[in-house]
Amino acid sequence: MENRPPAPSGRNGALTNYWLGGLTAGFLALAALFVVKAGGHPVARAVIPLVDPKFLATTPWRQTYADLVKAKEDLSDYDCYGCHDKNKPPPIRYDANHKIIVPQEHSDIVMGHGSHDRNNLCFNCHNEQNLLTLQVRDGREVSFDNIPPLCGSCHGPTYRDWENGAHGRTSGYWNRSLGDFQRLSCANCHNPHAPRIPTREPAPGPHQLHPNPETHEPAEAAP
Amino acid sequence: MSPSFPPPDKSSDAAMSRRNFLRGCAAFGGLTALAASLAPLREMGEMGDYTSKEQFLQKYYKELTPEDMTKVIARIEGEVQRQYGLRPHVRDLKPMDGVEFVYCLNLTRCIGCRKCVHACVAENNQSRNPEIQYIRVLKMPHGSMDVEKGDHTYDAKQVPEKGFFYMPVQCQQCKNPPCVKVCPVNATWQEKDGITVIDYDWCIGCRYCEAACPYWARRFNFTKPEIPRERINPNMAYLGNRPRKQGVMEKCHFCIQRTRAGRYPACLEVCPVGARKFGNILDPDSEVSYILREKRVFIQLKEEMGTSPRFFYYFDK
Amino acid sequence: MITAARNYLVFLRRCARIAFVGDWRYYAWMGALTVVALFGLNAYAKQLVHGLAVTGMSDEVSWGVYIANFTFLVGVAAAAVMMVIPVYIYDNEELHDLVIFGELLAVAAIIMCLAFVTVDLGRPDRFWHLIPGLGQMNFPRSMLSWDVLVLNGYLLLNVHICGYLLYCRYQSKKPAKWFYIPFVFTAILWAVSIHTVTAFLYVGLGGRPFWNASIVGPRFLASAFTAGPAIIILALQIIRHFTNYRITDKALLTLRSIVQVSMIINVFLLVCEVFKEFYSGTTHGASAKYLFFGLHGHHALVPWIWTAITFNLIAMVILLLPVSRGLKYLNVACGLSIVGIWIEKGMGLVIPGFIPTPLGAIVDYVPSLNETLVCLGIWAFGLLCYTIFLRMSVPILQGRLSKANEGRPEIQGDEPLAPLSAHTPH
Repeated sequence: MENRPPAPSGRNGALTNYWLGGLTAGFLALAALFVVKAGGHPVARAVIPLVDPKFLATTPWRQTYADLVKAKEDLSDYDCYGCHDKNKPPPIRYDANHKIIVPQEHSDIVMGHGSHDRNNLCFNCHNEQNLLTLQVRDGREVSFDNIPPLCGSCHGPTYRDWENGAHGRTSGYWNRSLGDFQRLSCANCHNPHAPRIPTREPAPGPHQLHPNPETHEPAEAAP
Repeated sequence: MSPSFPPPDKSSDAAMSRRNFLRGCAAFGGLTALAASLAPLREMGEMGDYTSKEQFLQKYYKELTPEDMTKVIARIEGEVQRQYGLRPHVRDLKPMDGVEFVYCLNLTRCIGCRKCVHACVAENNQSRNPEIQYIRVLKMPHGSMDVEKGDHTYDAKQVPEKGFFYMPVQCQQCKNPPCVKVCPVNATWQEKDGITVIDYDWCIGCRYCEAACPYWARRFNFTKPEIPRERINPNMAYLGNRPRKQGVMEKCHFCIQRTRAGRYPACLEVCPVGARKFGNILDPDSEVSYILREKRVFIQLKEEMGTSPRFFYYFDK
Repeated sequence: MITAARNYLVFLRRCARIAFVGDWRYYAWMGALTVVALFGLNAYAKQLVHGLAVTGMSDEVSWGVYIANFTFLVGVAAAAVMMVIPVYIYDNEELHDLVIFGELLAVAAIIMCLAFVTVDLGRPDRFWHLIPGLGQMNFPRSMLSWDVLVLNGYLLLNVHICGYLLYCRYQSKKPAKWFYIPFVFTAILWAVSIHTVTAFLYVGLGGRPFWNASIVGPRFLASAFTAGPAIIILALQIIRHFTNYRITDKALLTLRSIVQVSMIINVFLLVCEVFKEFYSGTTHGASAKYLFFGLHGHHALVPWIWTAITFNLIAMVILLLPVSRGLKYLNVACGLSIVGIWIEKGMGLVIPGFIPTPLGAIVDYVPSLNETLVCLGIWAFGLLCYTIFLRMSVPILQGRLSKANEGRPEIQGDEPLAPLSAHTPH
């Protein structure tokens, strides 16, 4: 017969058959392994706690007199003549090193305005004659709810930057035809008695995708 | 040329059919194993988010007609509702005429509190785990602008620390963006108002842009993003903060959903020291125009790259 | 016309048949490769579901061993021309019939390249966005779109050349020169271009000073023309061992001189690069410092690169000595240079480009188990393809599979006197 194929014969032929049989069994076993091991997440991931919402707050960290007025809050702290006498400017005392002695009634005030304790005279800003207002050195009276001109009387370049929106936060609408903007006042960020911004706790830092690449292994070992 | 074969013996036919049968068995076994090896794909529906037919066939952003866009937005809103249980408001906000955005950041003021990082995550619906953040704050030793000296993971109790300044880095919205140049499918491009955007439904996830960016500003969704329901921001934009899918790039887009509606970006709103300034550089009265006009020194990070960032670092004193 | 189509279909059917036919060693080899390839496919299925988070890659090191293997294999594919040039330009008779084996290797290598790029994609379902006309191809601006074009073009060129020559041989016809010689010369230029374009993929990134160096292109070509012919030298000996196909030692020694010269150039270019990175002492040398010596306590790549350098230097010395005319030493040199260059181009080029990041963070990269399985799977699949190509082409070139013996008893693979069992004792 012309078309009869040659016979697989001898040891070679038998080996081929064994291998084909073995391959079949091996493939089926592999299939079973794949099906059994199909599920599960192959990467263990670290738990990352959600960030504390306090870090998302946009409210300034200080409230000013103006804010209190707007919010109709208790203004009794600003009622100076509840304690002081009208027409009688309060005396200012210094210690031997010419450091101002803050009276006990104002112990919440820490003086730290300017280096070398230079700015240590209350009436540099407060109005000696009327404690309910503030006063610029040139004599202008300034009300508690509009202090930037007072601060600006010494901090000229900063005042100019602030007026142009380059110092301090301006929020709301950059496009003034679409909405309002709010500009924070000096005392929203700076304590007038100690204007340096205090340090604070930073929000949590970044987490890497693979916290430890050297030992990064799938939680469930692939087959 | 035909080789000569030995004369066939009697068992030859049987041997041949046995051989063919065994070959068939092995082939069957192989095919079974092939099919079984794809078993993990059964989890595709719940785990990965590969696509519905509409999404697979969705057209390129610039080729969508207004009617297409309406349908696509309805699809996205539906997906978000199914997944997070709230109806978002998705808009396709276009750039405004006569507006080119610029960002200025005051390095004298920044205290490194990282509030901007997290406000950005909250505003832009970034994945919380794995973590995707568009802003990276570097703690830098005084006197150097070499980012290789920066510390990314500082963990101080209180900031700022003495002897250091802090430099937040995010997408610099380059005028000459390397990421746009390298994208093989035009999935990222620069818009008229200077914002480089990404079509999340077009990106193929090759990460070439991530390799090209000199500011390490681009982020990849290595797995399905995870956002808690209660922290979804429903005010969304197509090219902005709508939730992304597994396997695509994302990055800072100057809060397109806010800024193209006239508002300041979220990172600026949360800054406790007013170090961040944003606005329209074509408007001479804007804060950013004032800063670039009045401040002596401002820095475009890695200026030598020729990328010409729209993000400027400046100093007060 | 109909007869021609029928003949071609019969040719394809017989080729397909013979791919599944062989003796026990063939089945053992193919079975083993299939098992590894299936493990890879299984791992890839997991990656499809869970995303690339199952790899060791991250935003810091956003390309890993996938792209490293891709880069190496583009070089292997390009190096196939190193056999074509002597044959068609210098009429080297010894290599004449062997060219096909080289080109088939190129085809297998390109298939692996395309597979490596595909598994690296975050959204492989969107591959159609790359197809001109259907999607958006950022051509000519994006080097990646160039790469897609040149790789697929190279694949088509080589498939055409091999397919045409083999089909002519099958029909015992003399191939028409005009139908393949122009393609051969195009393929020579094209081969250089695929590896140059792949180098430009890296070179074009200004933000990555380690890659942004004009020496990367020449280094790629030099290392490819070392590793590619080295692989072919080993492959030819394996073919010679398992079939009775005639391959002369002279042919192997011709390839040896190619490997020899390329290796010298490769090492020289490495020296040039190392000098520039370290002598100038700029901050741009941070990646090189990380690679060679470690940076700030991170040393993940240091053992790799020194292994590569040691292997390359030993290989170069052996190749320069007359002992490498002996096949034993030549094989050792080839093996060392393949491994050395694989490391140099993968762990030594792709990964350190990402470390430190453009913002100075140092994050080590270690491939995950799943990622490694995918890589092994693709290599197994590539070898599977190459084995099948050889299984088809050797009998055709020997005349045992031809139109003339159509209808005669088909090859079984393990019949006595059959080439595959030529060395088996009875």
